[in-house]
Amino acid sequence: MCGLKMPSSPQLLVGLEHADDAGVYQISEDLALIQTVDFFTPVVDDPYQFGQIAAANALSDVYAMGGVPKTALNLMGFPIGQMDISIFRKIIQGGLDKIREAGMVLVGGHSVEDKELKYGLSVTGFVHPKRVLVKRNLKPGQQLILTKPLGLGIVNTAVKAGLTTTELADQVSSIMAALNKDAAEVMAHFPVSACTDVTGFGFIGHLAEMVVGSGYSVEIDSDSLPLIHAAVEFAQMGLIPAGAYKNREFRKSMVDIASKVPREIVDILFDPQTSGGLLMAVDTSAAKGLLRSLTKKKVLSAAIVGRVVDRGKEKIWIQ
Amino acid sequence: MKEIDARGLACPTPVLMTKAAVEDEGAQGITVVVDNEASQQNVVRFLESKGYAATASKNGADFIIIGQTGKQSVIESSKEIPQKTAEGSQPKIMVMCATDRIGFGDDELGQKLMINFIKTIGEMESMLWRLVFINNGVKLTVKGSKLVSVLKDYEDSGLTILVCGTCLTHFDLLDQKQVGKTTNMLDIVTAMQLADKVITL
Repeated sequence: MCGLKMPSSPQLLVGLEHADDAGVYQISEDLALIQTVDFFTPVVDDPYQFGQIAAANALSDVYAMGGVPKTALNLMGFPIGQMDISIFRKIIQGGLDKIREAGMVLVGGHSVEDKELKYGLSVTGFVHPKRVLVKRNLKPGQQLILTKPLGLGIVNTAVKAGLTTTELADQVSSIMAALNKDAAEVMAHFPVSACTDVTGFGFIGHLAEMVVGSGYSVEIDSDSLPLIHAAVEFAQMGLIPAGAYKNREFRKSMVDIASKVPREIVDILFDPQTSGGLLMAVDTSAAKGLLRSLTKKKVLSAAIVGRVVDRGKEKIWIQ
Repeated sequence: MKEIDARGLACPTPVLMTKAAVEDEGAQGITVVVDNEASQQNVVRFLESKGYAATASKNGADFIIIGQTGKQSVIESSKEIPQKTAEGSQPKIMVMCATDRIGFGDDELGQKLMINFIKTIGEMESMLWRLVFINNGVKLTVKGSKLVSVLKDYEDSGLTILVCGTCLTHFDLLDQKQVGKTTNMLDIVTAMQLADKVITL
């Protein structure tokens, strides 16, 4: 969007200028709208699971902004004539079940004929204008918490290669289909100042979006990262999506990796995630309490993964 | 030698083709051609995980990976992986600078000597294997040092330059570093062990 002039309004609280997860538009003193849209090509073979994952991924941006999703519109590109129409129905069913789980309603949608199957949602949510969580609002001393395990892209590559068990493939599907709803609800009760969700740019890529413009740096403890353990072995085998190398190339100038960090862990840090967890910055005094509450709510694998520090110029240190 | 042409194929197909050749045919030597860097890295990782030595090189738009059982891996032009020179080749010299000046007496002269020394050290050519900066020596690698461009040229020509991370942190210069790879004591000690000759200043 570089170079294009955007219309502005005093009611636009979060627009395009800072690569935030969704747009926020203030309606009244205590209500703002969050709007986001996301769709992609299938990441799993099962159409119902694909629908669930695409919907969970689209809703995630609203949760990451500190909001509550309320309404959704379906978006579908479908190869009519080449695929059975029952697939269309199963995808929509998967999305609908996630919309229901989130306590939302489906208000409509649009489908077009497309050579390649695509599905996703346009989502609208509510947030209090003073409780909007942008990415870069980091404060030194805060702890960073991640709520889903990393390695989804690598394991999906292994699934594509036919090298995983059915159990592992199902496990990874269910991680991707899990809503970030519980994590977001817990987060609302704690002094969290910044949040994002981990998706295609990988853990480091999304962390970098929090760091750039914050004025601070972060330290990540590589041994405390929640991982899908099988991803380590698959990374060793070279089952790494090309996007992981692109993510690494793009952010390498701001990342300093200690030489003790194993190569496979570095691969996982840059691995593109689909519908990954929330990454939040919370005041240190409340970090343990937040972690306990997340664990109690059975959020997939909440862990403190690092901290915000006041040294260097917007750097990421992996140690 | 088994040959695989995996050009035009996306991840993970090149790895799967390599895997089939390695596991089903038990190829001892294997050549894989791919057309993108991600596939190159992935095939190298795969071969290494199976105990092969992988040598990767670039030929025009193609990446060629040669895998052989029972040797040490080498990725050409990759500075991240220590390159072991072939047995019987020339000695490896490691130079460690623990200071930003040479000798005692006049500091100004000492600094000039160090600049001259680093500029001249290139005469060792490919025998110069590692250049390590620790303690006050790290100041030669940061913004404002007259040696940054010289060191960058060395690095571009393939010399591995290691800079002590603890020292940079101590002087609060971590974000000022212009050249070299930030390193730790384990890397330095390992380099000493592998080097044929260590020169300390």
